[in-house]
Amino acid sequence: MVCVLLISGCSIWPGQDDSANNKKVTLTLWYWNRSIDDKLIARAKEKFPNIELTAQKIGGDFKAKLKTTLAARSGEPDIVALNDWIMELFPSEDRFYNLYDLGAGDIEDQYLPWKWKQGVTPNGQMIGFPMDTGPTALFYREDLFKEAGLPSDPEDVTRQMNSWDAYAAAGEKIKEKFGGKVFLTDNIATVYNQVLSQSAERYFRPDGSFIGMDSPTVRKSWDTAVAFKEKGLLANADGWTPGWNAAMNNGEVASFVGAVWMKQVLQEAAPDTSGKWRVARAPGGDGNNGGSFLSILKSSEHPQEAFELVRWLQSPENQLEQYQTLNLFPSAPGVFDDPAMKEKEPFFGGQATGPVFAESAQQVPDAFFGERYPSVHNIITRRLNDIAKQNANPQQVWTDTVHRVERELQR
Amino acid sequence: MWEHRAIYVAISPFYILFAVFGLFPIGFSLYLAFHKWDGIGIMTYNGFNNFKYMLTDAEFWQAVGNTFMIWIYSTIPMLFFALIIAFLLHAPFVKFRTLFRVGYFLPNVTSIVAVAIIFGALFANNYGFLNYLLQSVGLPVVEWMNAPWGIKVAISSMVVWRWTGYNAVIYLAGLQSIPQTLYEAAKIDGASAIQSFFRITIPMLRPVILFTVITSTIGGMQLFTEPQVLVGNDGGAGAAGMTIVLYLYRESFINNYFGYGAAVGWGMFLIIALFSIVNWKLVQGKSS
Repeated sequence: MVCVLLISGCSIWPGQDDSANNKKVTLTLWYWNRSIDDKLIARAKEKFPNIELTAQKIGGDFKAKLKTTLAARSGEPDIVALNDWIMELFPSEDRFYNLYDLGAGDIEDQYLPWKWKQGVTPNGQMIGFPMDTGPTALFYREDLFKEAGLPSDPEDVTRQMNSWDAYAAAGEKIKEKFGGKVFLTDNIATVYNQVLSQSAERYFRPDGSFIGMDSPTVRKSWDTAVAFKEKGLLANADGWTPGWNAAMNNGEVASFVGAVWMKQVLQEAAPDTSGKWRVARAPGGDGNNGGSFLSILKSSEHPQEAFELVRWLQSPENQLEQYQTLNLFPSAPGVFDDPAMKEKEPFFGGQATGPVFAESAQQVPDAFFGERYPSVHNIITRRLNDIAKQNANPQQVWTDTVHRVERELQR
Repeated sequence: MWEHRAIYVAISPFYILFAVFGLFPIGFSLYLAFHKWDGIGIMTYNGFNNFKYMLTDAEFWQAVGNTFMIWIYSTIPMLFFALIIAFLLHAPFVKFRTLFRVGYFLPNVTSIVAVAIIFGALFANNYGFLNYLLQSVGLPVVEWMNAPWGIKVAISSMVVWRWTGYNAVIYLAGLQSIPQTLYEAAKIDGASAIQSFFRITIPMLRPVILFTVITSTIGGMQLFTEPQVLVGNDGGAGAAGMTIVLYLYRESFINNYFGYGAAVGWGMFLIIALFSIVNWKLVQGKSS
């Protein structure tokens, strides 16, 4: 008996030489492909000899698997990667450790403030540690812009197409020049999303109350998107479809506002256009689209060890490394000046696009989303598609959408 | 009973599995239909609110209408083609019958996801194969994936492609059970091939037709993977491809209204039950 107490007492006593008792802490990490570099995980195992790290790459519908596991209350990992749907989990904040309690506050100043706040619930609990971000910029075809008599140098584009109106005017020139064979941008949802992402206001206030569909932000985003459709500037190519890839590769779309991770998507979709694309700052301002977080679940028995691991995995240096290996854009602005962020890219005609996105990342407005953001946002973008693709009457669709959102909020 | 325990132990796996994977989910979904639940947090009792919301939900009724339209677009041509194929396969002059039977059955064992991707490429608005064909003969292109009927045709054609062979094999089995003597007697009485088809084949196939209509109804009402892969969780342009199960899936797993999703599931159960009864009455009545 005494023997057992001595052994167990020894192993739980902190501050002892860990190698002496050789007791390892087991931690499970869930992530999806390309969210963390596998080489970095291998290095973490060397860096933390006291941690037995089981890193599991979860395929398929990651969110559904996580939610099922949370609902079942068994088999939960210690650390889990979350995407930009993190706000859907805010009502269940008690299922996560407050990272502030584990010492996150000490390193808060190393990360972009708006990104950091996205991981903090309205009650002030920090449940998500910043991973990569998705600052947005204007991707455009230098050759097509030049042919249409538009500015084609990234700095000129940034200066002259600084508003959505100026951008739309450029679109009309392109339409005229190419006889309607080339469109300014891909689809109506892109326009709406990007105008919205440039604003500090979304649909909800931090206290959970609904701002209303008549808020200036929503109206401006909606009206801009509808105007783009009415001026015939949209190719109606939906993202993540073969049609989008084809439209990009065939030069049917001259530009779009997208997040930094679209660089990868574009390069894979449109290999034939290599060297013709450039990146400038987005018209109307900077925004963010996407990005991920790491959380520690309340069921974990070793939150402090898990936090040390998270902190190391997402340290500015390691984020920089993952920018080089996986194109994950850092959320730590301290590394933005590193030469690795300024490398010239052949796909973008030798332009170094890193600094454009770095500038954008530092200007993203603080925004509160709220857990019902996804469902309200989805209703609106869905209805906008009716206007773009089925020529539905915009006024009629607006009235229906307001009604639909009100109904949604009642349940 | 106790002395027969070996037998009960032997048959128990089915009942245990049924209780765990059949009975419990059914009971739980009924319980869930009266609650509000985001899938993780606490459940709160919600009375009949989920059902009230469903009955006044335009999107739900649109999904019901879409499902019904897709079912009509797919079931009628599907059973018609299946009957013709079965009749031809049954004809004495056809050689390599087994090969044909396997061939017609093959679409049924192909992954629906793969099928949906291929059909997506066929029906795509830009650079789609059908539009390429239309253009090459000088016809205007059709915006299949933007038009409400176009999306439904695309989904229906997938269903037809997948299930025609399956139904043909069932019809073939039915045809083979019709005694040859009936045809011989009709021939002696001077009946033509068409007359014997409508007077002997169709009436004798009645129970088989009933079976295929009912299974197609249930399958049609549960249509999910085809539209989900083809047009996504929102049912495509104007939600024209939103079926009941796709709606249930979106409300539960995308929007996190699990209680409401369960209520929709029960709504669908009632619709299928009603439909099956109506079908049964119609098919019974017409042929008697």
